[in-house]
Amino acid sequence: MGIPEIEDAGCLLCFGYNGADSHPIVARRIVRGKQKGMKIICADPRVTETARISDIHLQLKGGSNLALVNAMANVIWNEGLADTRFIEEHTKGFDEFLKVIEKYTPEYAEPITHIPADEIRRAARMYATTKPAMILYGMGVCQFTQAVDVVKGLANLALMTGNFGGPSMGIGPVRGQNNVQGACDMGALPNSYPGYQNVTVPEIREKFEKAWGVPLSDQVGCPITHVPHRILHEKDEKKRIHAYYIFGEDPAQSDPDLAEVREALDKCDFVVMQDIYMNKTGLYADVILPATAWGENEGIYTCADRGFQRVRKLIEPEGDMRPDWKIIADISTAMGYPMNYRNTEEIWNEMIDLCPSFTGATYEKIEKYGGVQWPCRDKSMEDRGTPYLHKDGIFATKDHKALFYGTDWHPPVELENDQYPMTLSTVREVGHYSVRTMTGNCRTLRNLEDEPGWVQMNTQDCEKMRLKKGELVKILSKRGYCITRCLPTDRVKPGATYMTYQWWIGACNELTTAKLDPISNTPEYKYCACRVEKIQDQEWAERHVRELYDDIRAQMGIDTGKGAEA
Amino acid sequence: MNYFVKGNPDLCIGCRTCMIGCVVAHEGKHIFEVDPDSYSFNPKLHMVKTARLSVPVQCKHCENPACMAVCPAGAISQKDHCIVIDTDKCMGCKSCMDACPFGAINMTVQTGKFQADGSEKKVANKCDLCYGLPGGPACVRVCPTEALTLVTEEKLGEAMEHKRMEAARNTYRETHPQE
Repeated sequence: MGIPEIEDAGCLLCFGYNGADSHPIVARRIVRGKQKGMKIICADPRVTETARISDIHLQLKGGSNLALVNAMANVIWNEGLADTRFIEEHTKGFDEFLKVIEKYTPEYAEPITHIPADEIRRAARMYATTKPAMILYGMGVCQFTQAVDVVKGLANLALMTGNFGGPSMGIGPVRGQNNVQGACDMGALPNSYPGYQNVTVPEIREKFEKAWGVPLSDQVGCPITHVPHRILHEKDEKKRIHAYYIFGEDPAQSDPDLAEVREALDKCDFVVMQDIYMNKTGLYADVILPATAWGENEGIYTCADRGFQRVRKLIEPEGDMRPDWKIIADISTAMGYPMNYRNTEEIWNEMIDLCPSFTGATYEKIEKYGGVQWPCRDKSMEDRGTPYLHKDGIFATKDHKALFYGTDWHPPVELENDQYPMTLSTVREVGHYSVRTMTGNCRTLRNLEDEPGWVQMNTQDCEKMRLKKGELVKILSKRGYCITRCLPTDRVKPGATYMTYQWWIGACNELTTAKLDPISNTPEYKYCACRVEKIQDQEWAERHVRELYDDIRAQMGIDTGKGAEA
Repeated sequence: MNYFVKGNPDLCIGCRTCMIGCVVAHEGKHIFEVDPDSYSFNPKLHMVKTARLSVPVQCKHCENPACMAVCPAGAISQKDHCIVIDTDKCMGCKSCMDACPFGAINMTVQTGKFQADGSEKKVANKCDLCYGLPGGPACVRVCPTEALTLVTEEKLGEAMEHKRMEAARNTYRETHPQE
């Protein structure tokens, strides 16, 4: 499937994905689809912009994803809505899967998900009977300790209804960051070389050793979310991390449990930060390497739909900065492995020749067609890539059959309790992207929203605590606290709070938990227990926030001549 | 007839690009070159979000504007299909703000101008349909989902024609239920 096909789906199941805030340009496709008559089912604990225009809004309790997905599968099977021919011809493991979902009747799922059983039935029927049906899922699926299981659960729904291998169907991960797909494609993962070639397979390792002329490790590397532990608590001296080279990332803002991250960065012997502006991680760096921004770079991004796209330079960078690839080449050369690329195309050509599934995606082809979706194996202009990964129900397994994979739901790790009676989930807001390194420096976006950000709370909860819109509040978890503004809204359910993670003052990652999904190693950003406290002296709080902001800006060397608006 | 900009909540994704487009159109591109704290950010329309609704709200450019009627300074007038405020004449009395039934007027600081007590001058602020600016209302042009429309006499006429046609068809259906 491709992003443009969204608007031609018969039915869209939008699961834990808030397009309007994360990707307004994808949200545009959803809005257009609605205008064309597409049915929308939106599973989200908040009334998002997509939920607002949906035909069915499944406003589930946070952390109950798999119970809902399994219950929808249960209904589809028990009401005879499954595509039995597709299951028989193209899949394996269905009987074992049935055993798992047997108990997930809508009545069983109702108290877990807080969605009436009949609403689950209605949604399952709509998804199974409206063709073609597409699934989009976002961080509301991925940022849980039970994340990969839910992705597989959603794939089960698409499999059992035969929604694979054609236009406007299938299951689409809409990524958390731009070019996450590209980073994974290029092997920025602990277990693979570019093109998803496993580091533990000897033939693959030998191929890369020969191409690069150096011996390579046959061990899986360290996931980014394990780094703090490997710096602070690793007993084996050989495995302990002493140096941390970070670029285009701000773990001191974006990683969970910031107190632990700060301790790790502090204890780490050597930290290198490579970014376009100063950020919180930079405060712990021994060396800062200034890099160019998007308009000053060229290269290739991969879109969420596996499409390679060219990125072109708009302006020449001014001052003492270089593109990331040049910095990497220089560091490598200085460390004894000379890299002498003249441009990004040379790097790209070396890479595609080592990756069978990317070999055909030349600059020329991407230029000519505007984009190429991998796999694209042949350099001839006739091979235009692969819009449908599982075309005609042929899957990328040895016997070309898809595997059903059923698991039981389990609750999130840290549940509400007496001391911390509410839940916190981190979310996005449309104006500010990621850790605000870019958009926090964009003046009109800063005019719309600035420090210390907001905590979204249900109006009833606010009334109980006598909190008004804009009032500064303290929000705490077992791990830390921050100060932010209260935003009463009926778009969220009582007992739940939501904060965006980019603010330096209202830094919700002070509160989040570093518990991980066992397969993806992604933290449970979407669920932890918290408490909101009223601040009686608002004047003090306003002053305090302004001081904190000025202090951070001063530490970062930002000119505060005119003073900051907190 | 006065024109007005209308938002469609079925298309709006609440992104507020319209508000930024509005400020850039009125302040001029120089705001990208000056100190970020030295210009005033005064959008002339406001995003409203309720539990199930997102849509920007702005001046309706009424045919008999309550704001114009109450303005003691004669600062509000009708010009080329829209109601505009002359900020030089505006004395900041807030009567228009009070009179407007849509909450479309707010008070804003005028950068670089000062009032009697030495503080920056505050004036009434509302949508002027980008009066005097090329290309028509900026909010309509920048909206990524085309959720905003400039409603002109002609467009309104076409819509009314269409609605009358539908009404006539419905009347026919009501009297001929078997067809």
